[in-house]
Amino acid sequence: MPRSGKTGGVQARKATPETGRYLYAVCRGVDTESLRTVRGIEDQPLEVVEHLDLVALVSTVPLSSFGEEALRSNLEDLAWLETAVRSHDAVVHAASALAPTAPMRLATICFDDHAVRARLREWYISLTHVLDRVEGCSEWSVKVLSPPAASSSPTVDARPSSGAEYLRRKKAAAAERADTTESAVASAGLIYEQLSGRARASRQLPHQDPRLSGHEGTMVLNAAFLVSDAEARSFADLIGLLADEHLGLLVDGRGPWPPYSFAMLG
Amino acid sequence: MAAVLVCDVGVAVTLVESATVATVGSEAEPGRRQPARDLAPIALVDLLDRLLGSGVVVAGDVVVSLAGVDLVEISLHLMISSVRAEMAESGRTTRG
Repeated sequence: MPRSGKTGGVQARKATPETGRYLYAVCRGVDTESLRTVRGIEDQPLEVVEHLDLVALVSTVPLSSFGEEALRSNLEDLAWLETAVRSHDAVVHAASALAPTAPMRLATICFDDHAVRARLREWYISLTHVLDRVEGCSEWSVKVLSPPAASSSPTVDARPSSGAEYLRRKKAAAAERADTTESAVASAGLIYEQLSGRARASRQLPHQDPRLSGHEGTMVLNAAFLVSDAEARSFADLIGLLADEHLGLLVDGRGPWPPYSFAMLG
Repeated sequence: MAAVLVCDVGVAVTLVESATVATVGSEAEPGRRQPARDLAPIALVDLLDRLLGSGVVVAGDVVVSLAGVDLVEISLHLMISSVRAEMAESGRTTRG
């Protein structure tokens, strides 16, 4: 695993730099030899920048595609975005499997290693807190969906006997749909509370757009939980129990993942 | 309907009648970090939730960062448009 030299970058600032250092994550106590086979964005070798016990995982990216202007247009290209996101995640996954890891946001790019090290120095205490928080833990995702309303119920199969009867049924169906959503939201709240009670930390994320996620029905919960690995099995069991309790809902539990949602500084 | 979404390695989603929960990946190993833990893969949409919306935000003498929320929102909006365009395109191909 190559270690970056301590120099470099000072000269680069005089002219417009052509490359930057893409920062994937900051780890502690990672066996860097184990990361030797991992490649970064555009198949560049992964390198480390160290400060005390912190290890930043970096690789070189061309600013022709990762500079501010280029990023603005590239981020709108789904294929480009997916490739970048997947490359970023591959590094984070590999590191998280080995050691406490604080993932960075997509496209966190420094001028050079000097700038990376300056960040590590400046954020040392905050990063240490983040790493303490996530050590021995993984992220679990739990989504709750209210399925699309069934097109008919057994009692509505018969043809309405009159126009008034038709309207009555139509109104009842609308009321039922409203009830369903309202009760789904209430159930989702209970599910979130119970799971939070068993997690080190929890967060609610914005509900996903069905055009991106492809889900049907209404998403009423998109939550992330930080769970200690020792309790992962019982946490997964609890998701199953809650799914049994709320049979009208779809409960989608996934994990363990790197602690993406729990790496905020401060 | 008794249903739980069981995820198959974070991509394919199957609807089943039994209430078995979806856990992907291996059993956690309490108290052990080495050798490597098995972490489950993440679907693109879930990664976008996380990589654009959270994580450590770098500022200062950083060339580029996505700290600007506007940028992320604009990008996601445009991305949704491009996804829809792609879906429409593939729909035409299928029909034709």
